[in-house]
Amino acid sequence: MADAPPERSSAVDAGAGTSPAPAPGTAVDLPPINPEPSVWRGLTSFRGTTPRIVDLYVGVIGVVVFLLLWDLAAEPHRIVGLLTWIGVLPAGMEVADPKLFVAAPQDVVVRLYELFVYYEFLDDIGISIYRIWVAFIAAVIMAIPIGIWMSSYRLVNGLLEPIVDFIRYLPVPALVPLTVVWFGIGDTMKIALLWLGTFFQIVLLIADDARRVPREYIEIGMTVGAKPGQILRHIILRAMAPSMVDNLRIGLGWCWTYVVIAEIVASNSGVGYVIMSARRYQKTPEIYAGIITIGIIGLLTDQAIRWAHRRYFAYLR
Amino acid sequence: MPAAQAFISIDRVSKSFQVDQRTPPIAVINDVSIAIEEGELVVFLGPSGCGKTTLMRIVGGLESATRGRVQIDGQPVRGPSRQQGMVFQSYSSFPWLNVIDNVRFGLKFRDDVDAAEKERIARHYLELVGLKGFETYYVNRISGGMRQRLAIARTLAAGPDVLLMDEPFGALDAQNRDFLQAQLDIIQRSEHKTIVFVTHDVEEAVFLADRIIIFSARPARILEEVRVSDYLPAERNLETKESETFFKLRNRILAITRAQALRTEQLLMEARTTP
Repeated sequence: MADAPPERSSAVDAGAGTSPAPAPGTAVDLPPINPEPSVWRGLTSFRGTTPRIVDLYVGVIGVVVFLLLWDLAAEPHRIVGLLTWIGVLPAGMEVADPKLFVAAPQDVVVRLYELFVYYEFLDDIGISIYRIWVAFIAAVIMAIPIGIWMSSYRLVNGLLEPIVDFIRYLPVPALVPLTVVWFGIGDTMKIALLWLGTFFQIVLLIADDARRVPREYIEIGMTVGAKPGQILRHIILRAMAPSMVDNLRIGLGWCWTYVVIAEIVASNSGVGYVIMSARRYQKTPEIYAGIITIGIIGLLTDQAIRWAHRRYFAYLR
Repeated sequence: MPAAQAFISIDRVSKSFQVDQRTPPIAVINDVSIAIEEGELVVFLGPSGCGKTTLMRIVGGLESATRGRVQIDGQPVRGPSRQQGMVFQSYSSFPWLNVIDNVRFGLKFRDDVDAAEKERIARHYLELVGLKGFETYYVNRISGGMRQRLAIARTLAAGPDVLLMDEPFGALDAQNRDFLQAQLDIIQRSEHKTIVFVTHDVEEAVFLADRIIIFSARPARILEEVRVSDYLPAERNLETKESETFFKLRNRILAITRAQALRTEQLLMEARTTP
């Protein structure tokens, strides 16, 4: 009787055939059925996935390659020299000086440094940021209640939407003469122009965000005894907040376009002014320095808002 | 007039929607009267889009009737209120609040109880639906079944007279649905709430209901009423679904709904062939 179990199990083994059964508790090295794809596969397969750190490396590689190409474009005589040396091009070819069109990255960095140290560039950046934020905050403070109001009452929406839609389609540069007539060429004119460019866009986006709050959420509020004001505060604002912050982030990006337009037209300060006066004196590296500064500020602001979004709306994940 | 004594009386309710100005209004509910007793669990059963949900929403005050009237405890329904609690199939709780705060939300706007009592009630219902230990979890981190239990806890915490449930288990997998149906039966027996439960799932209807009201395709009218409580015991459990009576009831109701579906199909075909 005691012998029976081992006999049976060995019979099963023989039937299964190939390898001897491992002792219980020993780890067996089986080939993985569906192996983790390599990082390279993750990067190159259709809709593949990669770890975050890999995305970061790839981003750095992209920037470095871009800088190298840029540097080459700024010094085309190097390419010509190389091609001549190989024998593709005949010796003695002249290359026009390209510096007027493409400033070398190192020249731009030097110019940036000079701008900050000798030309109070920080003040220009400060004034541009100030104009943007005053206009943007004014637009947001007005757009949130008006947008929600439009989404809440058909009457308000019916009255405002045609006008808002009309103004929204006006190109901001076309409004510059009007704002100059109204406000002169000081800060007020710039802020007014930025406000015109953002408020009418944002208010419709916010109205849409509020409208997209699921009907169920609002009805939950109604059936636990909340009044309209309480539903607005405790449900609608909370439910729409993540998409609203995303939309405002995009709206802030438009502000940079408009501030440069405003500062190019008539100004004696701001990043747009620096770019425009550099053009007048054909100081190409300075134009690049101005443009890059805007890009970097935009990137940093965007990342900061994204970070805050991830932090405050962590419940979405 | 039995309707006068009933806890919920739905009295000759009709509803039609005007889609746009050029087409005639679409009739959704056609002259429906139902009397529901206090503590009764009534299931509205019918094909998708038949108007049963609309009827339940009219009871909840979330929609108005074109004709007829609805009274709860002798009071005409004038709009949504804390007396009519709602459990939805999706978006049933708030993702920006954690579990316990979602339950507390049901009590937030009550001024008939003090803060300490609110907290006690919230904890009580959290425990009743078996979510104790998940207080700090956000809604996106718990399962679909737990979300529906959470919605039930929040709705009960608001202290409603009537619980209106709109296919609350429709999006769940079969095992979870089984489990939640059994839990709802337990909750119903401990809380003695009047419940209107909308579903198109015949087995779910038979398992839960004291009484099933079978609706026709749109516009909804009552095809038949089945008093399940005459056949099945008040206390239901998973064995109930194995019993012969359960099968017989299920088959009888399926026969009604199938015949109705067939007829609707035929009507649609005729409408298409005749110019």
